[in-house]
Amino acid sequence: MAKETRIILICSGKGGVGKTTLTANLGIALARQGVPTAVLDADFGLRNLDLLLGLENRIVYTAQEVLEENCRLDQALVKHKQEPNLALLPAGNPRMLDWLKPDDMKRIVSMLSELFEYVLIDCPAGVEDGFKNAVAAAKEAIVVTNPEISAVRDADRVIGLLNTQGIKPVQLVLNRVRPKMMATQEMLSVEDVTDILALPLLGLVLEDEQVIVSTNRGEPLTLSSSNSPAARCYSNVAQRLQGDDIPIIDPSKEGSGMRDKLKRLMQTKIF
Amino acid sequence: MTSINGNQMQVRSERQVINLPFSRDSDWKTFLPKKLKVLKKGYLEIHCQDWVLNCRDLLYLKNFFENAGITITTIRSYISETIVSASALGFETDLILEKFTKSSSSLTKESANKNHPTGLSFHQGTLRSGEHLEVEGDVLLLGDVNPGAQISAAGNVMVWGRILGIAHAGKSGKTSAKISALQLRPVQLRIANKVARGPEEKPEEGLAEEALIVADKIVINPLKPCFQKT
Ligand SMILES: Nc1ncnc2c1ncn2[C@@H]1O[C@H](COP(=O)(O)OP(=O)(O)OP(=O)(O)O)[C@@H](O)[C@H]1O
Ligand SMILES: [Mg+2]
Repeated sequence: MAKETRIILICSGKGGVGKTTLTANLGIALARQGVPTAVLDADFGLRNLDLLLGLENRIVYTAQEVLEENCRLDQALVKHKQEPNLALLPAGNPRMLDWLKPDDMKRIVSMLSELFEYVLIDCPAGVEDGFKNAVAAAKEAIVVTNPEISAVRDADRVIGLLNTQGIKPVQLVLNRVRPKMMATQEMLSVEDVTDILALPLLGLVLEDEQVIVSTNRGEPLTLSSSNSPAARCYSNVAQRLQGDDIPIIDPSKEGSGMRDKLKRLMQTKIF
Repeated sequence: MTSINGNQMQVRSERQVINLPFSRDSDWKTFLPKKLKVLKKGYLEIHCQDWVLNCRDLLYLKNFFENAGITITTIRSYISETIVSASALGFETDLILEKFTKSSSSLTKESANKNHPTGLSFHQGTLRSGEHLEVEGDVLLLGDVNPGAQISAAGNVMVWGRILGIAHAGKSGKTSAKISALQLRPVQLRIANKVARGPEEKPEEGLAEEALIVADKIVINPLKPCFQKT
């Protein structure tokens, strides 16, 4: 591969903040831009990246078999049906955690680097072995957090660890932003979060019911030309990752106009 | 993530101690296998001297000794970066503030230490949640102490940034110790054995403040004018 592969860890510290959803949407969005992208499920304990991508029933081999040399990498890679530029490397079974070492992770990722321009690693929650394995192979990181004190606190801890591991750059995605709650100061503001975490903001993702709908269908929002709020946010994050200068949405202006309101009404009706 | 105090020392008196070589003498990685022969299974304290070790290095140490049935409990070092990495990994840490220069022998190191029982140690970079910087003299931090992080010193704590976490000055009992910061919005302040919860209301921006003990209570005052922005 002529260009150096970008190996990006998607992590958060706290669980359930939207890492896997971001990995799936970003993977699809990058693939749609024509970039060969691999997503690696490093959450061996509770894997579900395959579910979100609708690829569960296509998995035959996993990273585990590749490492044990029971199959080739290309046999284990699961190509996405609609977006052939995207491939998933599934995690092994949960027992794999017992023997997987940071070096194994590095081996897998260096194999993937031969074939792809982007490798997105979906990191498990926490800062224990699963995190340490996942971080070993990464060059850069995206920290996902929510506008909640506990999520921000855990993100801060993870950023501290990433810094000591020489991961650079580390960028921030603030997920599940609710403009209304921010306006009434019931929710931490974007500034509150960036003030503590002191990271460049890669993007905001609005709270959006469509995320849940799409999760259940196994079709990430970025796959369709859906114009739902979160879908736009995820594509913007992908474009910024590629270096495009796209302004970050201003939550105080989001969804207040008549057109936006109408659009949202229509969308909820469609489903 | 506490540092050892007298009591814990006694409980774990069977713990063994090794010193890594100084960086000018030899490489620490090549030194380890030799040392392993003289160690027994159990607990180990490592003095990392002047090595700047990151988490990766410290994990290497941890795995290396764990394979031999030895658990590292404490990391000592002259280098605050090493200490911060070690405490991020959950080791007990001890930052040693003896004055030393890269060329000095251990002899001059000791004499320097006698002349300067408390020095100023300097750390650059924000302390993030879960990190604990602890020093024996005064400490000057260039950066913030984030919520969930802690800074403590036997002497004064000075922060060129915000204190949003916990700060402890005079941790070995010095009641005249002070805590100063460009912005004091701590979860908790401690001076010697006194504890105060942080102020509820936001202080005015751009006003450096100082906490000290007055009449047995911790009070917060604007910092002396020479420090203040005009
Ligand atoms: N922007 C959003 N709007 C609404 N719901 C969301 C949004 N982002 C994530 N969710 C929901 O939050 C839940 C958790 O998301 P996800 O599984 O991606 O988190 P995670 O960080 O990967 O969790 P874990 O730590 O368990 O791996 C899911 O049910 C998902 O649908
Ligand atoms: Mg997940």
